[in-house]
Amino acid sequence: MDPFALAMWVVTLILFLIALLKDKEKTLQSMKKSKGMMGNMLGSIISIILLIGLVLTLIPPENIEKALGSSNQVLSSIIAAVAGSVTLIPAFVAFPLVGSLVDAGASIVPGVAFLTTLTMVGLVTFPLEKQEFGMKFAITRNGISFIFALIIAIGMGVLL
Amino acid sequence: MKIVNFLKQNKFLSLVLLAYLVSFATRPQFAAEAFGNSAYYFKEMMLIMPMIFLLTVVIDILIPKEVILKNLGEDSGFKGGLLALILGSISAGPIYAAFPVGKLLLKKGASISNIVVILSAWAVIKVPMLANEAKFLGVEFMGTRWVLTVVSIFAMGAIVSAIVKKEDLPKAQSSSNFVFVNQKYCTGCSLCANMGPMLFEMANGKATIKQQPMVPKQKAAVKNIANQCPANAIFIP
Repeated sequence: MDPFALAMWVVTLILFLIALLKDKEKTLQSMKKSKGMMGNMLGSIISIILLIGLVLTLIPPENIEKALGSSNQVLSSIIAAVAGSVTLIPAFVAFPLVGSLVDAGASIVPGVAFLTTLTMVGLVTFPLEKQEFGMKFAITRNGISFIFALIIAIGMGVLL
Repeated sequence: MKIVNFLKQNKFLSLVLLAYLVSFATRPQFAAEAFGNSAYYFKEMMLIMPMIFLLTVVIDILIPKEVILKNLGEDSGFKGGLLALILGSISAGPIYAAFPVGKLLLKKGASISNIVVILSAWAVIKVPMLANEAKFLGVEFMGTRWVLTVVSIFAMGAIVSAIVKKEDLPKAQSSSNFVFVNQKYCTGCSLCANMGPMLFEMANGKATIKQQPMVPKQKAAVKNIANQCPANAIFIP
């Protein structure tokens, strides 16, 4: 667990104890409500995790690396953004992957597009987002995030 | 029968399980590899989700609706956006962990644009991740991407909230029995106090709520009053 997750655990636990001391009845009631909400999400989260496994096996990081390093920059940036939207690989894999590409002389634009859609756009988490916030919200947020990921990537290409 | 019903209600899960079954039958090695690839994410979920569960309870109990409405609501302005950015950045966990928190904040009066900022910052800006990025791609790369991302996140919040309205969001099943009067918008016409004297009264020329939470039975009537309010100042989160 990274230190931030650990810190968040500690802070949350302390606050939870404060909530219990403040109003035990209400806290227990709220836990029941929250349990219902989380229970509704659990099936979707497990599906997401299993789906990530499938996608990672279908599109291994090595293939992504190939796509990001291709010579046609416009095409490879778009492919990179799509690949980032579909997959969900951990940051500690993604950063070295893009780092090695940039060190090898590839343009940073596809790399940035990939890194940004990787976290901000979630095709795999879409069903859950739709369930929690509605279709319109999920489509708009993911669509606009995709466009902005490309804008950020182009901006990086211009600035660096 | 129970299983059939469960699968019907969880179409997404059923589809994924079906994909696993098919690949297990045709290429067992592939299925095993896919399942193995999921292991890391299972671990992540087990570490984070119980904390998210407690966190939603903490927000629900310790932070009054008025505070969220004031600091993250429609009128919270740039300060609200900044708070959303900080909240998202210091949180740990994958983006789906942000969904229950975002949903709860939304229910308690946070604006859509601030929720988009929290979700996006939660997903992209992680302090440990920034350190990792600087290590592999350099401080300049990390810093520039951070600045561009923060600017984009604010722009995205504004654009999404221009397109998506609160009415477009799914109605919460256990929606609240609280009602608020936005003192900024209230013109003091006393329509609500006349229509629902049980719940609304006039104080210092503005409508106020007599008693919180309202009785569930009153809800339909209050909604009707809220719709008729000429200033749209009555608000049920």
